[in-house]
Amino acid sequence: MLAGGQSWIFNRSPIILSTGIVGGPFEREGRIPEEFDYFYDDLWMGEDSYEKAHRKLIEEAVTIALKKGNIQKEVVQFMIGGDLINQITPTNFAARNISIPYLGIFSACSTSMEGLAIAASIINNDGANYIITGAASHNAAAERQYRYPTEYGAQKPPTAQWTVTGAGYAIIGKSNNQSKPRPKITSATIGKVVDMGLTDPFNMGQAMAPAAVDTIIAHFNDLGRDFDYYDLIITGDLGKIGRTTAIELLKEKGIPVAENKFLDCGLIIYREDQPVQAGASGAASSATVIYGHIFNQMKKGVYTKVLSIATGALLSPMTFQQKETIPCIAHAVSIEME
Amino acid sequence: MKIKNISKLSILILTILLVQACSNSDVDKQSLMSLIKTTNPPPISAIKDPKEERIVLDIQEEVLSNEKIYDVAVIKGKTDVLVAYKVKHIHRFRMKQIKGELKKRLEDQFENVQFTLSSDYKIFLEAVKLQKRTEQDNLSEEEFDEQLKDIIQLSKEQT
Amino acid sequence: MNHQQKTYEQKAYEKIQKKHEAKRPLLRNCIVAFFVGGLISMIGQGITYFYIYFFNFTEKTASNPTVATMIFLSMLLTGFGVYDRLGQFAGAGSAVPVTGFGNAVISAAIEHRSEGFVLGVGSNMFKLAGSVILFGVFSAFVVALIKTIFTGLGGG
Repeated sequence: MLAGGQSWIFNRSPIILSTGIVGGPFEREGRIPEEFDYFYDDLWMGEDSYEKAHRKLIEEAVTIALKKGNIQKEVVQFMIGGDLINQITPTNFAARNISIPYLGIFSACSTSMEGLAIAASIINNDGANYIITGAASHNAAAERQYRYPTEYGAQKPPTAQWTVTGAGYAIIGKSNNQSKPRPKITSATIGKVVDMGLTDPFNMGQAMAPAAVDTIIAHFNDLGRDFDYYDLIITGDLGKIGRTTAIELLKEKGIPVAENKFLDCGLIIYREDQPVQAGASGAASSATVIYGHIFNQMKKGVYTKVLSIATGALLSPMTFQQKETIPCIAHAVSIEME
Repeated sequence: MKIKNISKLSILILTILLVQACSNSDVDKQSLMSLIKTTNPPPISAIKDPKEERIVLDIQEEVLSNEKIYDVAVIKGKTDVLVAYKVKHIHRFRMKQIKGELKKRLEDQFENVQFTLSSDYKIFLEAVKLQKRTEQDNLSEEEFDEQLKDIIQLSKEQT
Repeated sequence: MNHQQKTYEQKAYEKIQKKHEAKRPLLRNCIVAFFVGGLISMIGQGITYFYIYFFNFTEKTASNPTVATMIFLSMLLTGFGVYDRLGQFAGAGSAVPVTGFGNAVISAAIEHRSEGFVLGVGSNMFKLAGSVILFGVFSAFVVALIKTIFTGLGGG
């Protein structure tokens, strides 16, 4: 059901049934290794290219999500996913092997929430019984496409962020009044593309912050909610610098921010002493933290109402070289316990 | 895995260094320090004759009177004179000019000799080696002249 | 080239953005680059002495094998995954010496190995270092041209 200008309310409450989270060696050293289901020991993952390793991440995450939910692949109607690599080939190729009818989406690092919003909408409208959705990214594959070769010794500025190696997939299904309470998806807000004229690809957090703020405000306006409604508002990968900028922007727009309730996935996944500069980024940043850490915390009852906003920078290496600014987008999905 | 790689690398480097260190001869060891230290080896001439030795001493004195130069080796063959010198670090930007001035002064003062000047460390090192060898091995005039010619040849190499 | 006028909103955001942006620690970077660059150059000087002393090279001729050796060492370090960490630590200190050039070539070659030797390594090896070569040669040409013109005028 449409609410306001750009939001959906899911009155039939699609629920998250199970999730599969995989990561790489660097994530194992991070702050939340217990939230992952599986780690690979190196970035190659037994494949001969990073792109193939990327595909393997997705396949593994989907397999784990199906297994944990005890759901047969045949009953899942659709798979909705994406990643950062050219023409989202890792997800496309993974979908070839998984062979679930597939919608490939690209929304840079906000792919996870775009996928979740679409999946919830389809299920809410009886378009499917089960949908598997998620996002993935691979550090070396992304570095190589967007920046320099992995072994190139260029100094990254303190605003740079570290692309997460990992994949997070979740199975969304209909609410069936089971005894066990599960996180349900209550609403979603689709964001506008916002461009504040930033051009530095090593400063994505600040480029994306206005998009996140725009979507949060739209969400509050459309649904008549505010910060007090939620226990937690979590952004995808703004990083340290992007987060403080977003807080200031929100305050400037007259929205009181409870800073302890305004977290960022990019600051949760790694420890302080890991060399990630401003924090984590990549499609897997929001996918692994929200489907892993936040999902588990909600089941434990730490949070009951969460608004997650995944932010994406819609640039390509070519647009950056052609001196174009970085347009950004953010999608918000609210998840609440039954 | 990385630690293993690094240890392999260091073993490789150590081996190279060891192999090199073992091949040193006595003369080499003595002359090594001349690369870093002021040596001022005694000037020598092929012909053992007080008059010739006077000339090489005069040349050495003349070169060292230039305050920009702190170390010099002078070797005189029958007609060739090799002057290998080191320029003080602060004046190394003007090495070409120093060489020109020095050559002019030497040629004005000493006639009938063919000067070869070099500020190259390698030439200095070879000059010191030749001087050490003459002390130890008693080279004949011909051998001495031959070896001097080799050094002069080397100083003219471009690439 | 896209030089659009910034809108009022973009200008307003620029102020906030500048306030929060973490600047590169310039002084620290300069000092570290000075010492690491100096250290690499010192190793290079050591290798030059090595060639002068043990082989028949003069100061003039020893620079060629020295450069080759330094690039070989940077190749090993790049392959073992050490050089990119050094680069993050030292910045210009490890980028400016010839080892940085070697690292740029070799990292690109390693990276594109998965696309094969001809289309991958061959065509991508110089994707970072290519502009260094091109503009190095070009600026050498310009400088030589200027010098020729001036000395020609001065002499005539």
